[in-house]
Amino acid sequence: MITRRSMLAGILASTALPAALRAENEPYVLGTLFPMTGLLSELGSIYANATALGLEHVAADRRLARPIVLKAQDSQSTPQGGAVGMSKLANVDRAPYVLVGLTGVAKAAEPIATRAKVLMVNGGGVGPDLAGLSPYFWNIIPLANQELPTAFDWMKRNAIKRVALIYLDDPLGNALRKGLQEGLPAIGASLVGEFSAAPSAQQFSAMIAKIREARPDLVYVASYGTQQTQIFKQLRDNGMTQPIMTYSVGGTPSVAALPESEGILFTSQVADWDAADPLTRRFVDGWRARYKDNPSTYAQNYYNAVLLYTQVLERLEKEGKPVTGDTLREAIGSGTFDLVGGKARFSATGAIDMPTQLNRVQNGKFEKAS
Amino acid sequence: MLLTQLAVAGIQTGMLYALTAAGFALIFGATRVFHVAHGATFILAGYAFLEAVQLGLHWSLASGVALLLAVAFGLFMDALVYRPIQKHEGSFFTVFVASFGAGIAMQALIQFFFGGGFATISVPLTRAAEVLPGLYIAPVFWVALAVVVVVFAAVSLFLERTHAGLGLRALSENPELLRAYGLSARRLSALAFVLGSALAVPGAILTTVTTGIQPADSAHVMLVSLAATVVGGIGSIRGAALAGLFLGLVENLVVSVVDTQWSQAASFVVLFAFILFRPNGLMGRAGAR
Repeated sequence: MITRRSMLAGILASTALPAALRAENEPYVLGTLFPMTGLLSELGSIYANATALGLEHVAADRRLARPIVLKAQDSQSTPQGGAVGMSKLANVDRAPYVLVGLTGVAKAAEPIATRAKVLMVNGGGVGPDLAGLSPYFWNIIPLANQELPTAFDWMKRNAIKRVALIYLDDPLGNALRKGLQEGLPAIGASLVGEFSAAPSAQQFSAMIAKIREARPDLVYVASYGTQQTQIFKQLRDNGMTQPIMTYSVGGTPSVAALPESEGILFTSQVADWDAADPLTRRFVDGWRARYKDNPSTYAQNYYNAVLLYTQVLERLEKEGKPVTGDTLREAIGSGTFDLVGGKARFSATGAIDMPTQLNRVQNGKFEKAS
Repeated sequence: MLLTQLAVAGIQTGMLYALTAAGFALIFGATRVFHVAHGATFILAGYAFLEAVQLGLHWSLASGVALLLAVAFGLFMDALVYRPIQKHEGSFFTVFVASFGAGIAMQALIQFFFGGGFATISVPLTRAAEVLPGLYIAPVFWVALAVVVVVFAAVSLFLERTHAGLGLRALSENPELLRAYGLSARRLSALAFVLGSALAVPGAILTTVTTGIQPADSAHVMLVSLAATVVGGIGSIRGAALAGLFLGLVENLVVSVVDTQWSQAASFVVLFAFILFRPNGLMGRAGAR
């Protein structure tokens, strides 16, 4: 017998059913919070291009029951832009997995993402304090302090005893400064000068005059973006012939394009573009075909971040679990993943464990330094 | 030798500041328009030079292209932005906001076409050589010195020895009297924008080859211009040039006693000191404000 109550239940069920079906068929959302404008927009383009290539390859593979849709926000290279962008991604786009870059932006966006239980994956910021930032924050790039042992190894082999440091007075610059202060004595070297730069500084001739007075064997630069390239140019223009070294940010195209960057050394994760494994070949060949150049390690990281999302989604689909920040976090923390560069695991603090290498700018290209 | 090296670096920076600030000071002194978009003129000239050189033009022709675009932008601002506003309302604040907006729009346009990153040209002129033990000077230092001397001598001659120059100097004082003498305030205002915008070009080109340029430099150029105009004495081009040189020197010499990151802040300490203790600036006249 049809009662009013069963009719009402039927009506409610019929309205709820399409919603449930729709949820099941809705695409997975991948959010990006990249610096598409502002001082570091050059990096944003690399991140976005790598993400696009990764999504194209994943879509072609048809390994997931549902497609992945991209929701992009521009961080404008600023922490404030990062916070606004993350709010939109978490509350409007409902992205459970967001790719971020830049230390300051990531740190500004993190509280919003953690509150909304959105998983953040960083492939560009290398500030050591990004490790253990939040249970929902994962780094798919080795952090700057993880690169320093490779730098020390080269300095020791090349009898570098006196190091001058130019650093941006921010968390990243200060972390590298601390790393050098602690690590150099172990190889019989020391910091003979620490020169801080204001974020807006563009004239470095006075600073370089002081560096010259310190008579260093090597100048280590802990800055980034346009300022970093200006420092390289002015160091060479002002007659500094000593080796110049920096961290993974040295692997950006604008550095390679600057004639004064010739010979500059930088550490980064291991990147072998000639490796024969199918994942590396597909990534490198795809990048070369589309962008007519070799990829950078940043491109590798964001391509890997897309692969990571796909492999985690596959696992959740198999286990019949919903896709939430918590299920994604649990899957990433307990698994091993096939990425470009080899199998990868993450530590309890959310840092990827990857070997690092030293590179050199040679004839406008990056090559591994011995 | 460190102090000598810092002084040389300071003079070079100061010469670029002097060239940058003089144009703003001339426009403000003659028309009383707070031309914030002067920073945009500077980066427009820098990028125009850069692009022209990269297209294969000789540096002299590239400089001509930069000059043409800078002057065109200055005239555009005068004729199509400031003058219509002044006709209707003419408040200082409205003109300031319009100038600010136009400057931002130009900066965004440059960023759209050339990207937001740093751009430069590598030329042998910027490579320093050791001229004395521990003292490094790049050939661009002497080029900047020559440019500063020639440009300021030419501008001084023009302002002091020609009718148009005298009219320009009188424009801010008494436009009504100018009309009585048959001179057009409108034409003189356009002339101020032509000269002021042209003055930004040498500084922009020299900055492009020495430190490089980026769209966001517009704000820094404006700050330097403003500081030099106030320190030099509002209405005085010579004062602005001298103040630019002085600020460059302070910015570099201060590094010998404070941490390197505070060098820029030193310029603004000087600015505050002048506002508090010598509000008429180095060469300003009492009551000229």
